[in-house]
Amino acid sequence: MALLEIRNLSVRFGSKTATPVVEGMDLRLEAGEILGIVGESGSGKSVTMMALMGLIAAPGIVTADALTFAGQDLLQLSARAKRQIIGKDISMIFQDPMTSLNPSYTVGYQLGEVLKQHLGLKGSAARQRAIELLELVEIPGATARLDAYPHQLSGGMSQRVAIAMAIACQPKLLIADEPTTALDVTIQAQIMELLLRLQREHNMALIMITHDLAVVAEMAQRVCVMYAGQAVELGRVPALFQHPAHPYTEALLKAIPEHSVGAARLSTLPGIVPGRYDRPRGCLLAPRCPYRQEHCQDSRPHLEPHGGGAVRCHFPLTEATA
Amino acid sequence: MSVPVLIADELSKHYRVSRGLFKPPATVQALNGVSFSVSAGQTLAVVGESGCGKSTLARALTLIETPSGGDLMIDGIDVARASRAEQKRLRQDVQMVFQNPYASLNPRQKIASQLAEPLVINTALSAAERREKVHAMMAQVGLRTEHDQRYPHMFSGGQRQRIAIARAMMLQPKVLIADEPTSALDVSIQAQVLNLFMDLQEQLGTAYVFISHNLSVVRHIADQVMVMYLGRAVEVGPSEQLYQRPLHPYTRALLSATPQIHPDPSRLKIRIEGELPNPLNPPTGCAFHLRCPHASEQCREQTPRLRALEGREVACHHAETLL
Repeated sequence: MALLEIRNLSVRFGSKTATPVVEGMDLRLEAGEILGIVGESGSGKSVTMMALMGLIAAPGIVTADALTFAGQDLLQLSARAKRQIIGKDISMIFQDPMTSLNPSYTVGYQLGEVLKQHLGLKGSAARQRAIELLELVEIPGATARLDAYPHQLSGGMSQRVAIAMAIACQPKLLIADEPTTALDVTIQAQIMELLLRLQREHNMALIMITHDLAVVAEMAQRVCVMYAGQAVELGRVPALFQHPAHPYTEALLKAIPEHSVGAARLSTLPGIVPGRYDRPRGCLLAPRCPYRQEHCQDSRPHLEPHGGGAVRCHFPLTEATA
Repeated sequence: MSVPVLIADELSKHYRVSRGLFKPPATVQALNGVSFSVSAGQTLAVVGESGCGKSTLARALTLIETPSGGDLMIDGIDVARASRAEQKRLRQDVQMVFQNPYASLNPRQKIASQLAEPLVINTALSAAERREKVHAMMAQVGLRTEHDQRYPHMFSGGQRQRIAIARAMMLQPKVLIADEPTSALDVSIQAQVLNLFMDLQEQLGTAYVFISHNLSVVRHIADQVMVMYLGRAVEVGPSEQLYQRPLHPYTRALLSATPQIHPDPSRLKIRIEGELPNPLNPPTGCAFHLRCPHASEQCREQTPRLRALEGREVACHHAETLL
């Protein structure tokens, strides 16, 4: 049985008839699996995970056919029962550690809060566990750091503290939303390595949300590419990066400077992501797609199984055409 | 090769930082003796992590701040000794594009008027002539001229960066300083904007100083690359050479830490420990020795100078042995 199953998740803001920000999202995740979700800004990758965490507040409207985690139906659970799971079995780290930590409390206090809330640890037991956690995320001088405030830590150290908080209750699923985007490249490499080590040691499932395809290529086992609120391609790494089946995945890969070494110009995908008022009737990529045909402009494709994954395209690319 | 339009010689900028009422102020050596030159139509990329002094360099080059030491020559004029009239000319010749196009454009001003402003201040053109120039520039950067009465919020991030580039190019500057111009943009938009930079350089022959923390972005656009660490240049050289065979351990670490789309499993990952040292209290000797896998006694004591090696310059005591 899958650890996490999302079926037909949609998120709208305002009213039930508003343009969906996330539309018909399906996702399955096994225990201990690493999934990367990639897409450009506004593609709905963060909103999907926030909906799962119950972080979408009014006027946001979340609808889904199924939202199950470890056999429990999150849609049916009371808010109280949900709080027992969220933050404990599913936890999340965010992009900017400087804003996700509370500047007014020490690191030790903030870690202690998680331990008290979910595990009932208090006093010296909580302090001891907090020190262990900071050591686990490789913070030097862990005992002294407990009394530090977030502004006394560097960006990389703050992100380590945020990770320590997220893994405090040994979650079954850790969602990392752009965890390295605000960091320098050498620190990014350290944090990526740390996340992979923790994932291995605790056999956690990990969802990496990022706009950086290369980060996913190096970390994830499976990847989901999102465009304009829809999953457009699902597949295994590195197969998906070697032979993308969706034109959007192909265009994204080609736009990376690494792809065009030696060429005079970078290859680009013309145009921009459709907005609320110019959402195409057919395939959402059709206005920008170099392979579009008449059929694409009239009918919206569904996510269909393709190769080892799935693709949302009427005319998926084959190795010969790509 | 033409004459350099921008020459920096041992450029440095030190800031005094107050440490409270009872302690003497400390000095941060944000920029510590950096030298380079850029010719018309060429691009120098400055690469480094946060705190390496690349933005301080941009502020010194655009005359926003006066350097504490060293010489800066722009188009044959020594900046430190320039008269008021020469300074005014220099400010037209050096323009800047900033990182975040959401913050660098005035939200209350229409695009036409933002683009015309440099002309209002610096030229005696009539309103009709200004309008014509604005439209020509909008077309050149790939914006539709009928959108000139729009406000910045009506454009996407990529379009806004095009507007910022158009504004910087209005006076046909000799030097354009771009400080992380694509790091706020998505990959597909980044490619469009990088191509625009290259097209404009071809058409106008502008010299670029392109500042970035991302080595793979820079590879495409740069002729020369300067890698900086804690206020100093650690390696300077032609772009392709530097990518194919980095000499300085820090350049190697940066390249190895950059994630790749097709990771080569045989590629040796150089793991560098620790973080950037405190600039208020920099380490003795080589600034990188605390994190360097090859550090020796000599590195702890002597600060390496930039020296010529294999057609480029590198500041490392052990560069030969690492070849």
